[in-house]
Amino acid sequence: TGRTSVCVSGLRSAELRCESKAVTPLQHKHRLTPTEPQCVPPVQLQGTSTPTPCESLFNIYPSHFSYALLSDPPVFPASVSHSSSCLPEQVMLVGDSGVGKTCLLVRFKDGAFLAGSFISTVGIDFRNKVLNIDGVKVKLQIWDTAGQERFRSVTHAYYRDAHALLLLYDVTNKTSFDNIQAWLSEIHEYAQQDVVLMLLGNKADATHDRVVKREDGERLAKEFGVPFMETSARSGLNVELAFTAVAKELKHRSMKDPNEKFKLQEYVSKEMKGTGCCRS
Amino acid sequence: MEEKNKAAVRSRSADGRAKERVDRVDPYGFERSQDFDYESYEEFMSEYLVVLTRRSIKWSKLLKGKGKVQKNVKLKRYVRKGIPNEHRALIWMAISGAQDKLEKNPGYYQSLVGAQHDPKLMETIRTDLNRTFPDNIHFRKTSNPCLQKALYNVLLAYGLHNPAVGYCQGMNFIAGYLLIITKDEEKSFWLMDALLGKILPVYYSPDMLGLKIDNEVLGELVKMKVPGVWQTMVDHNVMWTLVVSRWFICLYIDILPVETVLRIWDCLFYEGSKILFRVALTLIHHNKALIQEAHSLPDICQIFKQITQGPFVEECHTFIEKIFTEPGSLPMATLTKLRGSCQSRIIAEES
Repeated sequence: TGRTSVCVSGLRSAELRCESKAVTPLQHKHRLTPTEPQCVPPVQLQGTSTPTPCESLFNIYPSHFSYALLSDPPVFPASVSHSSSCLPEQVMLVGDSGVGKTCLLVRFKDGAFLAGSFISTVGIDFRNKVLNIDGVKVKLQIWDTAGQERFRSVTHAYYRDAHALLLLYDVTNKTSFDNIQAWLSEIHEYAQQDVVLMLLGNKADATHDRVVKREDGERLAKEFGVPFMETSARSGLNVELAFTAVAKELKHRSMKDPNEKFKLQEYVSKEMKGTGCCRS
Repeated sequence: MEEKNKAAVRSRSADGRAKERVDRVDPYGFERSQDFDYESYEEFMSEYLVVLTRRSIKWSKLLKGKGKVQKNVKLKRYVRKGIPNEHRALIWMAISGAQDKLEKNPGYYQSLVGAQHDPKLMETIRTDLNRTFPDNIHFRKTSNPCLQKALYNVLLAYGLHNPAVGYCQGMNFIAGYLLIITKDEEKSFWLMDALLGKILPVYYSPDMLGLKIDNEVLGELVKMKVPGVWQTMVDHNVMWTLVVSRWFICLYIDILPVETVLRIWDCLFYEGSKILFRVALTLIHHNKALIQEAHSLPDICQIFKQITQGPFVEECHTFIEKIFTEPGSLPMATLTKLRGSCQSRIIAEES
């Protein structure tokens, strides 16, 4: 098409913004209705005098730029079609307190695991990371949430803005596994219907303390039709894969290419590594 | 040009020396981060030490020969200018009413610590023990005395004392700071009681209603005082709770630099929870141009994180001066009224 890059996320976020003006900050529910284009993309961009605070998280589209425009990409003025101006995808980590959400995120972000070096996440925090998926840059803004039950009444309000949710339990903590159903119903109630969801059994390296079998996780995931894998922030097992799989799914969705159907479940099953030496 | 180069060389070598002169651990036991700017810190401290010394002398005179302090205009002014760390525990105890409660309830704290505890509460608190200030040397298991054990006791006692709240994440940081400053479990307990029971709205209860209300109240205040920022938030459909929940629940711990947080707490103990709004409004007002340039929700998240870092918040003395000037007047009556209307709105939304 002559475009050097594809904005993988503008579409969904544009959908979100279409309605933004009608929604008061307290309204949690969100309806998704594509609207008619209201204006053409602006020529004027972020001023060159001010440096961007993070590596170009800025969007090139006006706030009410719509779905319809993106499905048939307009010809942008040359100065507008920066390759790096796409909106990041918002990925949210949820699950009980202490299951290792922050450790998983830091392992993914920095490739490091430092036992006992993190403070409990209170409210919501986030980190950014750019992935290269099949030659296309996919930016992720990963939201890390507090796991304690009472925070759910605050954090579920943000589910509506998440494009993907990684739901974690700790294989050494039965309660965290038992609570997965409660988390899932919370997600079904507050998240977007088409949210990308994945179940992760973390701390899979802790063989001696394990109380939740991999099969239990698989069974639960199957029951709810959610892709599943075991991860370990300590060893790095499947950490990269979990985020890459989500990023691939989000990229394929936003490109809406029917010839290139991406099956998250299949991809995960193929790429996933088991915790033992051999997997059947 | 040559002069410029010379200056650059001088400043580089000064940087090397600053790192040698300044401790790797701050006065409160926190290890300095890897990207800590030793040179700017030293530069700031060379000025701030003068202020600290002057304040210290003034406070010594004020407290000389007095067993108790009275709340009055002079004391309020003194508190705003910063309580010297050697007097902090004493003054916090006095102005918050914690000292009175401690004296009226002798042995109460010890009885709470010694009582039977709910295993679930114990477990919840334990989950956070290793995750409270791992970067502080006093919270290491190997340190003596180890504040981790004290932290456990204070949180457990508070959970029993106030079962409606029990334990909420964020309270670990608050109790941790209180222990660092008072070095005393019982005093920390009564200061917790003053903060959670009197000074702050009910932020930590299971429904977290007080927190939700204050998030919305901040939104209303921004609408009045920095309408451009408010419009940006509306345009991108960003809920205030997303960007400011942590500010309120942690009372700025782990958000602003330690020294700045303590200066904020000085005022918080004296003047109450509206100080939290003054800080938030100052951060937002000071950075309004930056926030208004935001192009998306993720962008706004990033900016709200960014505005809590840098020289503006590190220079705590001028920052505290700013919180009383930059946001303009903030009468308690306005806050009370806004809290009322936001509460009705939230309850209506949730039902």
